[in-house]
Amino acid sequence: MIRLDNVSWRRGKKDSGPVLAHLSFAVPQGGFRWLLGPSGAGKSSLLSLLHLENLPTDGQMTILGKTVAQDEKRAALVRLRHRIGMVHQDYQLMPDLSVADNVALPLRLQNRPEDEIQDEVHAILKWVGLGERLDVPATRLSGGEQQRTAIARAIIHRPGLILADEPTNALEESQACRLLDMFAELSAMGTTVIVATHNESLVRRLERPFLFLERGRLVDEGDAQV
Amino acid sequence: MTRPFSGRKDGLSLSEALPDRSLFALVAMMGFLAALTLAGASGARALSARWSGGAAQLLTIQVPDANAPLPAQGGGSATTTRVQAVLADLASLPDGTEVHQLTPPELARLLEPWLGETDSSALPLPAIIRVKLPPDASVPATLEQALGTHVPGTIMEHNARWGERLRALANSLLACAGLALLSVGGIATMITGLATRTGLATRKDIIKTLHGLGASDSYIAGRFAWRTATLGFGGGLSGTLMACLPLLLLLQMAAPFASAPLTTPDRLLPQNWQALANTIPSDMLCALALLPFAAAFICWFTTQVMVRLWLLRLP
Repeated sequence: MIRLDNVSWRRGKKDSGPVLAHLSFAVPQGGFRWLLGPSGAGKSSLLSLLHLENLPTDGQMTILGKTVAQDEKRAALVRLRHRIGMVHQDYQLMPDLSVADNVALPLRLQNRPEDEIQDEVHAILKWVGLGERLDVPATRLSGGEQQRTAIARAIIHRPGLILADEPTNALEESQACRLLDMFAELSAMGTTVIVATHNESLVRRLERPFLFLERGRLVDEGDAQV
Repeated sequence: MTRPFSGRKDGLSLSEALPDRSLFALVAMMGFLAALTLAGASGARALSARWSGGAAQLLTIQVPDANAPLPAQGGGSATTTRVQAVLADLASLPDGTEVHQLTPPELARLLEPWLGETDSSALPLPAIIRVKLPPDASVPATLEQALGTHVPGTIMEHNARWGERLRALANSLLACAGLALLSVGGIATMITGLATRTGLATRKDIIKTLHGLGASDSYIAGRFAWRTATLGFGGGLSGTLMACLPLLLLLQMAAPFASAPLTTPDRLLPQNWQALANTIPSDMLCALALLPFAAAFICWFTTQVMVRLWLLRLP
């Protein structure tokens, strides 16, 4: 369950204007939301907030059932962040690591046994179509492969919430459609998914509720169509 | 191609972010200086203990014209030499007092640094008497005056006077060594801090990604701290080992001044290294053995603090 009640966030000084202002919405567990809006509307900022990279300066935010205080303890944030998978626009893969090691990272940070990690990584990379690319360094992957590696890394630890920032940017139409099917499948399995995108055809293809941001404010919230 | 799974790799690549050479070499230099300072401190402490422990109970008495007859009291015949008269007076000191008149060979050895091996029998040397009082006894206040009256020209030197000054000197040296060690520790801390900051700057984005993936502050700080501690230990060990050669040479040169001299240092390099090594005080050996661990701890602690403070910028 994700819930924002009158949440605002400003960057830096108190007197600067809020990047996000008075946002209120809720997404049930297993729900799917498109996050739409023009460039600079605050989509990435909202995803950062939901990923706990920033904390609200006003209002109340509940992530996966836990209300996040503005002075939340760092250890509690780390624990909560373990339950969130994030796909960044720029992938943020570790350049020195292979595909398999990149994907294994969230599990290693949870101190899971190595044999269990390897089984999980094999399975997830097969699922995203990179089963034959385990040992390739991240720097030698195509854009689409990097994107799928980032997605695999975001979902390998079976998070309760997946956030994706323009995940189809580097993908061809067919790959983007396959990715959408993956997100729909994850949502159906009970994972909350929020995907920020500009790609209208994608949104039309997978009709799901949306949140429309403009200048940091939630101006529209709908059931299916843009 | 690389192996698909490389164990516990997390992408921080700290061997590149915190290169071996600079931190290792700088800590080695600090370790070298610290080892020499520790040796100085240990020497000063030993001298201070020696001077404060024994010197207060020692007297040195010089009797000029030692074998000249002492003028008889009351006009009688002169049958006693001046030195015998002094020795007779010293017999009244408390029980347990050791009185020893230096023999001609002992006197010659004492004067050897000034006179060389030339025959000193032609020189009008005074008799030297060493008096060691028992630990609980003190020098009678009237002894000097009594000796001067009875055997005119007798000089009594109470070593405690020198001992006080030398002890003050040794304590000053000890304080200087302590300050020098603090400075070396401070410089090592700053060097580690700078190296850590450089490492954090070069790995900023990767740390942020790891943080976003759920890495705790302890994990990230631990990874950096382990790296700098390893380099610090290696540097500290190298510096200590490098300092061992000059320390042994110093010991060899200081051997004639030690209470149990090894040999006369007619060669710069000692012939019996084992015997020389055995003369190193045990507290100094312990301090030298602990030096690499101290260097590792300084590096580990500094890095932990630096990384944790840096991570506070991230939510």
